[in-house]
Amino acid sequence: MIEYILCLLLFCIGLYCVLRRRNIIKIIVGLGIIEYAVNLFFVLLGYRHYGRAPILAKDQTITNMVDPIPQALVLTSIVIGLAVTALIVAIAIRIYEKYGTFDITKIRRLKG
Amino acid sequence: MKNREPGMTLIVKTITRLTVGLILLYGIYIVLHGHLSPGGGFAGGVIIALSFIHLMLAFGRDAALKKFSQAQASILESLGALMFLSIALLGFLGGYFFFNFFLHKGKPFELFSAGIIPLCNIAISLKVGAGLFAIFAVLVLFKKLGEKEQ
Repeated sequence: MIEYILCLLLFCIGLYCVLRRRNIIKIIVGLGIIEYAVNLFFVLLGYRHYGRAPILAKDQTITNMVDPIPQALVLTSIVIGLAVTALIVAIAIRIYEKYGTFDITKIRRLKG
Repeated sequence: MKNREPGMTLIVKTITRLTVGLILLYGIYIVLHGHLSPGGGFAGGVIIALSFIHLMLAFGRDAALKKFSQAQASILESLGALMFLSIALLGFLGGYFFFNFFLHKGKPFELFSAGIIPLCNIAISLKVGAGLFAIFAVLVLFKKLGEKEQ
């Protein structure tokens, strides 16, 4: 149970970072933390006690293995997260070019 | 700082020259053993892209783009996607999509086994490696373009 609570705590740290910080770069870091908290939650859901990685190896029979479906899902989620992060960073660079600042409270005017 | 060269200091450049080939080789190993051990097309492709990104961080933008230009990256990326699609479509020879059309599939746990899966891994690694390097290169080139506009 404690793992899930720590996972929620990590999510809350990311949420605080997104809502409370003013720098765009720190908001992006917060989004990354949220994403990894959710990924960790999925992997934890598939964990079984004393389970091994679901990989077939030579001359071995694995009787007790963890659930591979959440792991495959998380792999896809990591790829999508990479693409989203690249997009957000590109947008942040454009904002910096337009306004000359990363502070979201100073980005008010419609410009250009 | 008399004549400012692009890139980082001499220490970083020397270590990069030593390690970058090993990183590339490790990525190729991960790709080719993707059907036997953990790893595969995506992980190996990321490692291959990271070796070129390492080069770009240490030696500056132009040195890395001379080795692996953006046009080459986009060609390789398209080639990876087309290769994956053509492997999938060749499955119609046996009756359905993604059919493993090799008749002799080899023994399990050997390097040349599993039919089309290593070929799919190579296609994915081309796509991911070139795509990730292209993303990084575009983010680096972004600033230059912005300065040109003004």
